[in-house]
Amino acid sequence: MGNCFSNDSGGMSAVGGAAGAHGNPYDGPNDAVDLFLRNRGYNGLFSQIELSFAAIDLRDRDVLSKSDPMVVIYTKGRDGGLSELGRTEVVLNSLNPKWITKHNITYHFEVVQTLVFRVYDVDTQFHNVDVKMLRLEEQQFLGEATCALSQIVPKSDRLLTLDLVYREDSESRRSNRHRDRGKLIVHAEESISSKTTVEMSLRCSDLEYKDLFSKSDPFLIISKLTESGTTIPVCKTEVIKNELKPSWKPIYLNIQQVGSKDSPLIMECFNFNNNGKHDLIGKIQKSLADLEKLHAIGQGENLFLPTTVGHDYHNKILKSQLFVDKFTESVQHTFLDYLAGGCELNFMVAVDFTASNGNPRLPDSLHYIDPSGRPNAYQKAIIDVVEVLQFYDSDKRFPAWGFGARPIDGPVNHCFNLNGSSHYCEVEGIQGIMMAYTSALQNVSLAGPTLFGPVITNAALNASQSVANGGRKYFVLLIITDGVVTDLQETKDALVKASDLPLSILIVGVGGADFKEMEILDADKGERLESSTGRVASRDIVQFVPFRDVQSGEISVVQALLAELPSQFLTYMRSRDVKPIL
Amino acid sequence: MAATSRKLEITVISAENLQLDRKPIKKNASATVRAENEGQFRTTDMDTEGGAYPKWNEKLVLDLPMQARSLTVEVQCKTSYGVRTIGTAKIPVSDFVGGFVPEGYLHFLSYRLRNHRGERNGIVNISVRMKVPELKACATTSSLSSMGFPMGDSSFGCGGVATGIPVWCGPYPKSY
Repeated sequence: MGNCFSNDSGGMSAVGGAAGAHGNPYDGPNDAVDLFLRNRGYNGLFSQIELSFAAIDLRDRDVLSKSDPMVVIYTKGRDGGLSELGRTEVVLNSLNPKWITKHNITYHFEVVQTLVFRVYDVDTQFHNVDVKMLRLEEQQFLGEATCALSQIVPKSDRLLTLDLVYREDSESRRSNRHRDRGKLIVHAEESISSKTTVEMSLRCSDLEYKDLFSKSDPFLIISKLTESGTTIPVCKTEVIKNELKPSWKPIYLNIQQVGSKDSPLIMECFNFNNNGKHDLIGKIQKSLADLEKLHAIGQGENLFLPTTVGHDYHNKILKSQLFVDKFTESVQHTFLDYLAGGCELNFMVAVDFTASNGNPRLPDSLHYIDPSGRPNAYQKAIIDVVEVLQFYDSDKRFPAWGFGARPIDGPVNHCFNLNGSSHYCEVEGIQGIMMAYTSALQNVSLAGPTLFGPVITNAALNASQSVANGGRKYFVLLIITDGVVTDLQETKDALVKASDLPLSILIVGVGGADFKEMEILDADKGERLESSTGRVASRDIVQFVPFRDVQSGEISVVQALLAELPSQFLTYMRSRDVKPIL
Repeated sequence: MAATSRKLEITVISAENLQLDRKPIKKNASATVRAENEGQFRTTDMDTEGGAYPKWNEKLVLDLPMQARSLTVEVQCKTSYGVRTIGTAKIPVSDFVGGFVPEGYLHFLSYRLRNHRGERNGIVNISVRMKVPELKACATTSSLSSMGFPMGDSSFGCGGVATGIPVWCGPYPKSY
């Protein structure tokens, strides 16, 4: 936050190379793509993934030679419709092809992206035709495979092997015999070209006097040199007033910003003038690799000043020198790196069973189980979230609780196991949650008040126990409620304590209540949470959203909640210097 | 074997919204950490530029006496009239000791500062880690071994399960 409130006025502050950019959790590889997606409401984690394909044991369809396979990639929408995304090249004469063409796809954390791959054997007569022009109905269909993008990316080897199935197999009466169509191997690679950041501390000596009555006020601009010879500024340091031996604050450069470690960089030292016309004191051209060498040998390099003498340009070598006092490289791991490197997300859910939901047997209750199978608001919210998170939870066993109800003949319980057990709280998969939810509805009487404290404290206990056991798990608690919380201060206290643990909390408000007060819990909309003892939440771990059954678009409102999760996860891991096991 | 004090590593990270006489301060804030009311204290360097949002990121090591119940963090500002206290926060030791997280856990904590009149005046952000004392009496096996009672694997019921606090022995596992 210090960057926003610096005392530097008149444009004298550092730009572009500051530590704030260094901590960017999104690692957006392309600023233009970033902006494009953000303008369309995609605020979540997205990164470019490159898919490559290979297959083994394909069916041989040609008589005299082997098949000539090609893969066509489709995305499957929620309605089941397929739309084509791209095609690989044709590999001639192979039943175990490795295709070279890679397919780029944008990975969105908060959406389930279903992909369908179809393998075709391309007929000999079309071998010289551009793959895009091929008509698929004229080729031999070899088989298809389906998966979700999030099935591949969290795996440590980023590989998924899928059985190819032939559509007609499912229609055939003899489908007991498993027809071996071969396997398709899909490999996903994150194409962020560089996650390496360089931290440099630069210093100059013996700069010339440029101002009349005082010393120069120097600052540096670092630009990259493009192939056409133009320079594009990448970052600038702060201005140091009245100093001929300036030593600037460290700057952080992402290697991808400048191209590569060997890309030529121009460093120009200017004297700051209030009128905006800064005088060039000297410049130097070096790549990052050169700067690293300068740092290693501990020497400086002379700046030069292009001067014109008549029609000639020549570079006057100055006495001033540039020194590199510090040069360190660090790798910023991405969210997917952590998932592939042994970290996982653990999902937990807590359901509001207070009386304000209405009698579950009546159709106007928020807990009404529709015999037609149409999910109620609670079921919908759970499905939307678990649908996305389940791929990141390895054992698919989810702690599930209810609160605000009276189990048979007992006092009101503010955190009871949804499965009815008194020993363990987990259920298996989405089905397990749904079954436990519907049976709990029959076994408890709705009561009140709406208290979050016990549920949050329980989730925090799970998280801290996992830390104690050396686990690399990050916990996500989904609380679905129909009303405003009654114990606001206790809830804040529990949240403040939990902010130091690997836990994020998503609160979904269902029904028509006025949830204004709940927005206080979400630090995005208000101030940092403060406990009754004066402790303040060290991280913003709560996201709150009122649930409106919006059908338009691929991302539901609840899934938009998930968009912030990767950055909350990364903030936690990075601040504690936890690295993925790669 | 019982030590009278433990080493505490406190990194004073930053502070926010510091004011003197209802106006944000311009510069020269520093922070002092003190164990309860003991004499021993450590101070960070001044942040000459950060203004009302100073960043120190300075690690201070303190000996925390066993019976100490709290730490005090005080943020001051050096003005032309001398050093003035902006605000103080009292940090109960229970916020970073005990509980279920292991001893060497790096805690990120933030506290509300209050001035001498008890009014709210900013927030201070710190991180705290207790240095695990080397207990020479235990045999060290693997670096991941722990003495203590298993928490009942993943079966955690709610409603008052009594569990013991694990005692860690040997070098503390770094990655979790």
